[in-house]
Amino acid sequence: MQKYFVGVDIGSLTVKVVLINDDLEILGTAMTRAGFSGRDVAARLKDQLISDSGLTAQVIGATVATGYGRVTFPSDREVSEITCQAKGISHLFPTARTVIDIGGQDSKVIKLLSNGRVADFAMNDKCAAGTGRFLEVMAAALEVEWQEISELASTSENPAKISSFCTVFAESEIISHVSTGALKSDILAGVCDSVASRVASMTRRTGLEPDIVFTGGVAHNQGVVNALSKQLGYPLLVSREPVITAALGAALLASELRKA
Amino acid sequence: MSEITEHVKNKSLELLLEEATLNGAARILRYPKSRFFGYFCSYFPEELILAAGLEPLRLLPDTGNSTPAELPAYCCSLAKGTLDMEIRGKWQDLAGIGFTHTCDTMQCLSGIWAASGHSKTIDIVPPVMLNTSGASRYYLAEMHSLLNSLMALTQNKINKEALQDALKLCTYTRKLATELDALRPDLPSQMVSSLMRAGQVMPRLDYSQALEKCLPALKEMAEPNQHRLKVLISGAVVENDSLFAMIEDLGGRVVADDTCTGYRHYSGPTVMEAEDPLVDIVRRYTEMPPCPCKNRSLNERMAYLNDLAHQRQVKCAIIVIRKYCDPHAWDAVALSESFRNSGIRTLTLELEGADVGGQERTRLQAFLESMKADSEL
Amino acid sequence: MAKRNYRPLASVKALQKTMGRYYALTNYHRYWGKPFRRPLAWVTSGAPVELLRSFKIHSAYPEQYAAIYSARNTTVALCEIADSAGYSQDLCSYARSNIGGVLRPDLAPLGGMPKPDLLVACNNICGTVLKWYEALARHFNIPLLVLDTPYLTDEMTQQAKDYVLEQLYAMAVDLEKITGRPFNEKNLAKQMRQSAEITSLWKETRQYCQANPSPLNAPDLFIHMAPIVVLRGSQEGIDYYRKLKAEVKERVALGQGAVENERIRLVWDNIAIWPQLFTFYKMFADKGACFVSDTYSGGWASLQSPGTPMESLATTYTEVFLNRSPEFRANQLINLIRDYKADGFVMHSNRSCKPYSLVQEVIRKKVMRETGVPGLMIEADMADLRAYAEEPVRNRVQAFLETFD
Repeated sequence: MQKYFVGVDIGSLTVKVVLINDDLEILGTAMTRAGFSGRDVAARLKDQLISDSGLTAQVIGATVATGYGRVTFPSDREVSEITCQAKGISHLFPTARTVIDIGGQDSKVIKLLSNGRVADFAMNDKCAAGTGRFLEVMAAALEVEWQEISELASTSENPAKISSFCTVFAESEIISHVSTGALKSDILAGVCDSVASRVASMTRRTGLEPDIVFTGGVAHNQGVVNALSKQLGYPLLVSREPVITAALGAALLASELRKA
Repeated sequence: MSEITEHVKNKSLELLLEEATLNGAARILRYPKSRFFGYFCSYFPEELILAAGLEPLRLLPDTGNSTPAELPAYCCSLAKGTLDMEIRGKWQDLAGIGFTHTCDTMQCLSGIWAASGHSKTIDIVPPVMLNTSGASRYYLAEMHSLLNSLMALTQNKINKEALQDALKLCTYTRKLATELDALRPDLPSQMVSSLMRAGQVMPRLDYSQALEKCLPALKEMAEPNQHRLKVLISGAVVENDSLFAMIEDLGGRVVADDTCTGYRHYSGPTVMEAEDPLVDIVRRYTEMPPCPCKNRSLNERMAYLNDLAHQRQVKCAIIVIRKYCDPHAWDAVALSESFRNSGIRTLTLELEGADVGGQERTRLQAFLESMKADSEL
Repeated sequence: MAKRNYRPLASVKALQKTMGRYYALTNYHRYWGKPFRRPLAWVTSGAPVELLRSFKIHSAYPEQYAAIYSARNTTVALCEIADSAGYSQDLCSYARSNIGGVLRPDLAPLGGMPKPDLLVACNNICGTVLKWYEALARHFNIPLLVLDTPYLTDEMTQQAKDYVLEQLYAMAVDLEKITGRPFNEKNLAKQMRQSAEITSLWKETRQYCQANPSPLNAPDLFIHMAPIVVLRGSQEGIDYYRKLKAEVKERVALGQGAVENERIRLVWDNIAIWPQLFTFYKMFADKGACFVSDTYSGGWASLQSPGTPMESLATTYTEVFLNRSPEFRANQLINLIRDYKADGFVMHSNRSCKPYSLVQEVIRKKVMRETGVPGLMIEADMADLRAYAEEPVRNRVQAFLETFD
């Protein structure tokens, strides 16, 4: 009988669920805001995805949970986002050797071995610089919608320099740029450069080896993609659905649990 | 910890685990007859405090996020937390507080404490270059000055006998701690961490007696570790067991410990040969495994830790850095490189205090997962 | 906005010439060092350089280069290199940018520092120098000589003096081996004499700032301290400070102030904010506030202690103000405020320098209590621009200066 596997990624802002079959094909994905209890939201989302796919809980071979809420979520195994991300990305991009994952709360650089295993990794320290949260705060300071960032930033010819590494300081720096009449697009481009340079520095810590895959929510932002690619001096591969790659990795690990 | 204590019906063990949880907070209630003397750093000679008729109490912060006005934001939470407790009157009962010159922060803290706290402070400035010309002579002179300061503080003479007794007690305690350390591979990490810390926050005689009593039970409890990943941990002060418990929870086992509040506090040779007990004491503190603030030779610390890793057959190491702790942050670079060269994978983990949360779990878990993946291959 | 409110010194030309010559010599050391048997040492700013000079060792100062990296806006890029190599961004920015420059000389101004033959560190300024120089010793695989000057919780002790002295003699033996030259006490005595002369000149120059208006402002002091740091004990240094002293003396005679319409006199505490050297101090100069003295460049104006050349070295280098208690440091600041008739003081809480900064709040309270003048605390960094928050700093400075209106 065909078995199915579920990966659940409970992040700080959103919950992602991926359903795959024995042949490791993606049958469905779902995503929603985590809200107050990511765990309950994830449980509901998982059930819904299974029933929407015309399946029942009985045919689910195994579930692996990842993300901040992984510890308390009822699953067959909980695995860190780093291992899941590595798994998901090397499945989608077998030639990937470096994964850059910029999410809402943290950013990670993962160096992969040729077999897709984690060779080394680096994460941001307890500071929002170089994360999606940083972009969000700065966009709010400029009264720009999250979705508009990349479009506006791409029109900049003269990116502003954001030097502070502290989010609070950077915000005041932006306000002073605004007060001196700098263009919104230039400031936004400066913000994207700042995120990129922070992450680029982390990349140098693990060592940079192509192919480089950029994933996580911020990979949707073309402004950061361009800035990062320029700073690293390599083109970046971006997955079509960067938000769900960790959940996909979790589902793939679930399928391996069954075999073991 | 509770699940461990539950199935351990050993009074001495229970006492030690409780003391470690309290970190000295209930000292007045529990030991009304003892007079405690606070100190920082393992380089403050406990022998002298004991010889002065006082009980050494290592000062540990009760929370990781105090912000006393006297210190800037970029100062470590050990200094901030303990100074905040001083200002809140938590150390009022102490006979005094001893500072050792180790890092820049401790050096500054001593002066700040003297200016803004209520407790009497005493300093000792050991040599930084422990093997350099004149270092041992200087160290001995500093030890004599410290002895004089303690006598002035207590208004009591400290005789040779008292020093020898203190030295004996410390030697015995260190011997017991070494036995405990040898059991590490087969006991839960957080339990050993607790037992090591207990010996720095309760009266020393009570500690050594309790530890002696529970060692047989610990040996019985020891279960040969088949599948847990052996981990070496190095770092500064770790005031609770949260990190050790998380490592255990994620399938690891701390089999080698080089933290200031862990086994490093007890390790190193203890000698009792010289006519002047202070000479023996100086020798012990000179020869104990160095912390990053001290230099015995350029790479001695790296060599010691690599040996330790080798002896305990460790394949991975976790270097814990308290945020804004410069000496450990500096050494982390050379240390992880030397570990890497001996085939030991290293994770550098920066913590605000001793508590670990979701971010740390992700890092630790990913690190241990990648180690397991390697061993499965 | 564009109007400059400070008076440039003619001596700047001589300074550029003197320093230019020193940098040229240093950066071309590889061509002349070997043939003249004169090794190159990287030394900390508080190292007993007179002893090295007596062995004809040429000294280069990573801290000095780091200040230049910062003034030329390359610190951030170099720190990122060190960061990638694993050095935490909370560590000293001089050390990080120096290491960044060692790893990537192509990114450093002046092509980075010339490769050293030995390293000499003295921990009288901080514990960081030990860790920093250990890292350098491992990288270059060259000898590291450390002078351990015990921190003085109160006055100098006999044991500390003996200990440092013994180390100095041992260091002389090491240097004999390294240079192949014998230790010559007469040479050392000569170096000490020249060093004393340069120190006196610097001290006298600074004392002219007790005049009202003050002939010099903090940026002048910071710029013109370069030779006393790197050319202490040299004839070039003496020649230069004679010129500077004459010019400053003349300014006083003519009643010329460094800042136009000086109306507020301030004392500065801590290392300069190098990446903002002019913009930061301009905020003050624009309001008629002049920094008439400072504890930082004043660190090089302490006269030598008595005794034989070696004894004098031991005491002088151990009694450095950064190696002293907050009590001592507070009194030093109080005396400066009194001697220079200052109306207030500004402390730079410098993320990079814990021994200088952690004790500042306690000192600030004591100084305010005893002198009755206000003291402002500014959080920044001596080299890393990323720790400088322009708007909050501007607000605080403005509010502080308004208290004098």
